Amino acid sequence: MTAVQQAPAGPPGAPSGRAAGAPGGEAPPPERPSARRLRRAAPAEPSGIARALPRTVAGRVRALTAAVAVVLVALLVVAWAAIADARDGVKVIGKDAGPQVVATGDMYFQLSDMDAQLANALLAGAAPGGGRDQALARYDQDRQRAGVALLKAAKLADETTEDDTARELLDGIGRYERLASQALLLDRQSGRTSGQPPKQVLDLYRQATDMMKLDLLPKAYNLTLDNGTLVRHTYEDKRSDVRSGALWVIVTGIVLLAVLLGLQGYLARRFRRLLNPALAVATLGALVLVAACAAMLYGQAGDLRRAKEQGFDPILSLSRARAISNSANADETRFLLDPARADTYEQVYLNKSQTVLYLKAGNLDEYNAAVQKGLPVEQGRAPFLGFLGAEANRTEDLARPVDTEDALKRVLADYQKVQANDHRMRALADGGQKAQAAAARSAATADFTRYDQDMQSLIGIHWTAFQDAVKDGEHGTGGWYGVLPAAGVVIVALALAGVRPRLAEYRWQR
Amino acid sequence: MGIRRNGHVLRAAAALLAAGTAALSAAACGIADAGESSIVHKSELTIGVNTDQPGLGASSGGTYSGFDIDVAREVARRLGVGGSHVRFEPVTSKSRESVIEKGKVDLVVASYSITPERKLKVAFAGPYYVAHQDVLVRASDASSVKNVHDLAGKRLCRVTGSVSYTRVHDELGVAALPADAGGYTACLDGLTSGRLDAISTDDLILAGLAAKAVREGHKVQVVNAPFSDEPYGIGLRKDDVDGCEKVNKVLTKMYQDGTLPKLLHKWFDPANLKVTTTVPQFEGCDEA
Repeated sequence: MTAVQQAPAGPPGAPSGRAAGAPGGEAPPPERPSARRLRRAAPAEPSGIARALPRTVAGRVRALTAAVAVVLVALLVVAWAAIADARDGVKVIGKDAGPQVVATGDMYFQLSDMDAQLANALLAGAAPGGGRDQALARYDQDRQRAGVALLKAAKLADETTEDDTARELLDGIGRYERLASQALLLDRQSGRTSGQPPKQVLDLYRQATDMMKLDLLPKAYNLTLDNGTLVRHTYEDKRSDVRSGALWVIVTGIVLLAVLLGLQGYLARRFRRLLNPALAVATLGALVLVAACAAMLYGQAGDLRRAKEQGFDPILSLSRARAISNSANADETRFLLDPARADTYEQVYLNKSQTVLYLKAGNLDEYNAAVQKGLPVEQGRAPFLGFLGAEANRTEDLARPVDTEDALKRVLADYQKVQANDHRMRALADGGQKAQAAAARSAATADFTRYDQDMQSLIGIHWTAFQDAVKDGEHGTGGWYGVLPAAGVVIVALALAGVRPRLAEYRWQR
Repeated sequence: MGIRRNGHVLRAAAALLAAGTAALSAAACGIADAGESSIVHKSELTIGVNTDQPGLGASSGGTYSGFDIDVAREVARRLGVGGSHVRFEPVTSKSRESVIEKGKVDLVVASYSITPERKLKVAFAGPYYVAHQDVLVRASDASSVKNVHDLAGKRLCRVTGSVSYTRVHDELGVAALPADAGGYTACLDGLTSGRLDAISTDDLILAGLAAKAVREGHKVQVVNAPFSDEPYGIGLRKDDVDGCEKVNKVLTKMYQDGTLPKLLHKWFDPANLKVTTTVPQFEGCDEA
């Protein structure tokens, strides 16, 4: 059928000038100079594609109507595909990979906490009420959860390097456990109730903690990074698919409107009627459909961005900050537990602190002084870097959850206290007052717990933002799979209703 | 007459369609361009390296050698860029960020410590190794210098423009005596001739110096008492997240299949340096 070949979806830049002049026998509109020019340029006999264009009025009406249908179908297909992309993106980030990656992010926390609890248990000794049983109970709980997280991470792994990392991690946890139980057994056999553990116990603990620090934790961290890459790729692919889908909806929508208006205009001139009501309603309906669909798709792209940048990203980075803070906290215990390595543990504490909140400082004294000078969060231009600096700068984003700023300020105030406590404890230890230092360390536990809780509530705010964005995304596309075909049927029906009576006048032509 | 008008309408629609298509393909091209400038798609790579650190990155007569050089070659190879398509470009501590930002080099592998300040300007894959500041002494002094605090009262090499001395003297508060030198090779000469007592900088650099001293018939020793973490990263353009992730994957693989441990042993065992042969904790590519 000629109509299909004539649809505007045909090669753009087709010799439309010739097409216009093709039925050369008719009188040219004298008032249009461009038409006159075209006529001069065009030969009297149609040639090329122009020959394929229908020459009768009825044929042209039919062709334009068919064009409406074709472009409409194209629009619906494009919109359908974009909606499918949007739903897929929301599903992967909001329901599948996203939450699972967050779960694997906790593995780092659980592993470092295992090591911290082992240090606590050894430092506590066998004295009743010393906290050894408590520490060991928490150790077991950590190990269990780390195992669950590792399984999830392994399931998410989509490349052999990640699989291998997960396997090595499993193997490493086994070896760590062996060292830990040897250290605990030896410590029990030593019959010590409190005070410094014997040298063999310390040696075993050093092996264990070195292994945790140099082997297990890096692998756990890298595995979460790898999994995060997966989410980032999905996010970027789907978001750009949705955005270009929205653009295509607008482009095909404009073409559809142009064809509908063209048909309207042609009918108006040819049949000397002011307005074809059915066609006008169809045009209006198409306009509403295109606008609503494009707006919905851009909304989806926005929801995806919100879920990623105000949910997934901050949750992951704050979880890391929390885990690193926790292991730095354990380094204070190790600092007291193993005086021979006190220098190293102090340096490591500084490094970890600077990862969480970076201020330029060469030693802990300088760092503490800088932290106590104040940590202002001014419109996202925080004077510090690191994980908390990134979080502070995130408050610049207008899409941020409103209460993050207050929650962050609480975390920062807690952080200052934690650092001040550390400073006091080290001053006592350096002054040779070991018992007082250990007492100061115990007294500081409450402040650290508050810091950790406030950190968790900050993470919780982002978690809520994440879920809200995902929910918005799901609701946004809800019902569209029904709306699209229905709207298509209505628009085609209206167009036909508008054209049919006119065609009836031309029955004799064909 | 109406027919002619209709032609206008059709032409307008066609023009709109053409314009839309053009806009879309322009957008698509934009995306493709961004992707193609990632190191992942390059068939030739220019890699910034050091030329004055024996054992790490050194050049003589146009041939480059050292641990960093081997790592750079291997990473490039696994990115699909073979030997003759890799070009080395000497960089200095000062120029590293600017050569990356200006696109003069694709990667920098040059004992390049990852710091939060540098991360504002460039992206870091890795670290491929975490070096530690340590101390190098004459073998005869090794029994009296067990850690950095034993440097009190000793003559410690101070290199212009390096922060290593400041870290020991000011930040750790060790009362070492300064002995100035123009560079670490000069420090080594001072150490072997007895003009000074100790050199302190990253252990990988010390290992290279120690190996050089041993070749020249002197007896020196790395103390093996590390007191800082220096994560050596591979610098890339800040927005090349794909490239960064790809290099991380390559580094993971190089640890898993034993390539990196082998290189570490090859370059640092002669100096009796205890190297860590497990994969370091990566920085991550899309973090602020």
